[in-house]
Amino acid sequence: MSAAMNRALPLLAAPVAFFAAFFAVPMIVVVSSSLMAGGVPSLGNYARVLFDQYHWDVLAATFRIAGLTTVACALLGYPLAYYLVRVVKSPALRRTCVILLVLPLFTSNIVRSFGWMVLLGRNGLVNDALVGVGILDRPMRFLGTELGIVIGLVYILLPFIVLAVGNALAAVDPALEDASSDLGATPFDTFRTVTFPLCLPGLMSGIVMVFTLAVSAYVTPALLSGGKITVFPMLIFQQYSTVFDVNYGGALSMTLLVMTLVLVGLAGWIGNAGASATGRKAQ
Amino acid sequence: MTHPRAATRTTARLSALSAVLAAGVSLYALPAAAQGEIRVAWYGGNWGEAFRTCVAEPFTKATGVRVVPEIGTSTVTFAKLQQQKDAPTLDVAYMDGGISEMAQAAGVLDAIDPTGVPNLAKALPEAIYKADGSIFAVGSGYYSLGLTYNTKEIKTPPTSWNDLWKPEFADTVTIPSPANSSGVPFVMFLNRMWGNPPGDLSKTFEKLKTLKTALYFDSSGAASNAYQSGEAIIGAHFNVGAWDLADKGLPIGFAVPKEGVWATDARLHLVKNAPHKADAQRFIDTALTPEASACLAEKLYLGPAVQNVSVSPDVERKLPWGVGGSVKNLQLFNWADINRDRAAITDAWNRELARQ
Repeated sequence: MSAAMNRALPLLAAPVAFFAAFFAVPMIVVVSSSLMAGGVPSLGNYARVLFDQYHWDVLAATFRIAGLTTVACALLGYPLAYYLVRVVKSPALRRTCVILLVLPLFTSNIVRSFGWMVLLGRNGLVNDALVGVGILDRPMRFLGTELGIVIGLVYILLPFIVLAVGNALAAVDPALEDASSDLGATPFDTFRTVTFPLCLPGLMSGIVMVFTLAVSAYVTPALLSGGKITVFPMLIFQQYSTVFDVNYGGALSMTLLVMTLVLVGLAGWIGNAGASATGRKAQ
Repeated sequence: MTHPRAATRTTARLSALSAVLAAGVSLYALPAAAQGEIRVAWYGGNWGEAFRTCVAEPFTKATGVRVVPEIGTSTVTFAKLQQQKDAPTLDVAYMDGGISEMAQAAGVLDAIDPTGVPNLAKALPEAIYKADGSIFAVGSGYYSLGLTYNTKEIKTPPTSWNDLWKPEFADTVTIPSPANSSGVPFVMFLNRMWGNPPGDLSKTFEKLKTLKTALYFDSSGAASNAYQSGEAIIGAHFNVGAWDLADKGLPIGFAVPKEGVWATDARLHLVKNAPHKADAQRFIDTALTPEASACLAEKLYLGPAVQNVSVSPDVERKLPWGVGGSVKNLQLFNWADINRDRAAITDAWNRELARQ
């Protein structure tokens, strides 16, 4: 045991040092700067953030956009993952699909968001197509709307939920589903009471990933909002990059972090409660 | 991006090698170390390329000293200078107006001395920036934020900033947001243009609220993209970016309106305790030659900050002050004023304009 520990410790040293240097230290710097105002320790920055309705409005917009993105990703991503894992039989085809899914991740966010700016523009492909087919009479405004930002974020974050759900689905033993239908359950009942609850942890981890990435996204909202909608990361970026008020910027960062953790914790709690309720019903 | 890192790695390997050699044959190791290089911080993209061609290459040709670029925006360079305050590795830094004053206040800059940089005598008086009696920065070229428009949609060139409010341009206008370096100064420029009191921007924001924009751009690239896609057909853009689009064959025009244009400059700075001060001074000296200035004017349409620079007529009309203009036509604000009001203007912008 202790010999194994001794062997493991040097292996651990690298990741621990990495996290200390690139996660813990910057975090401590941000926290400590947020607690300083005018060179003296103070909670003034937090008061400035929390006692101002404007920040709550921006926070609400940020969570609304992230929430819609997460719902859209889950609704699109789940069937896609199911299709990839259960319907596609040929391993070569499946591999191709996964590569197609992951390929956009190799391109920078900035490039992909610029792409959407062109597609969603007044004279963009999307508007041309919608007007051409006759769904719209005149071009619709996407840029500078929450819908535009959600479209961009869903496109960027969809792979995360598909991969998370796909892995969970692949781990479900098909024998369990066979047993369920042997016992007379309809395919829908089998899905509802066996397959879905079993891959719920995968779905939840995908949801948490997408939600946190959407809450903290800067590039996509900054470009697709056209500067007309503000999300919290844009406020933070402003303070650090143009106003140079790291104290106020730090307080904004910590506020977003804590609020996100609270929401994610709440979602996890609800998810667990839901899963155990479904589990009990299944028994 | 991999280039400088690879270079650093090679240098590290080489220095390790020379250390080994030095232990054995110290005499041979010395000349290799003395051959020299300087580290210069400049911007990415076509700006960095232009600085390389116009300044770094002639400098290396004349002195044999290699120039290692460190690519980053002014803000990033300023952050680097603050981090390495005690043991700087950079020798020279290009930074824009505004950040330049902040770097001076942070005490990371050395005085640029006319005896070390004789070409300072050739610089325009406006391009020499002093604090406490010593020169902390020298201009390397001006650029302006002018009226940019789609020549296919707009046949007669606009002549006034107020044209942006014309009903026919509704929802097709773009102006910079405070996330862009020109955003805050542009608000102050409009405030002055409309004759509103300098300390009270409320009327200016009221007017800005009535401007029907397609978008507020936060990067020069986003502005170029908007004009290129037709999302914006009129608005503000830098002369550098607008003419770059026009040169690519897009129907884009750039006009200096009757109220003038807000402008700023890219500046050269000598880093305090620079490891290669003498070579750094020679680099700045090279940058202040009419040849280097003319080259930057041709590549980026930067308005020369050096006297007696001659450029072709086609380049001349694309300079920040337009046809027949000079640095006198530029509205160069005092960055100390802009920096003082920056937080308040950004905050007001967020509340008044950056929400639906």
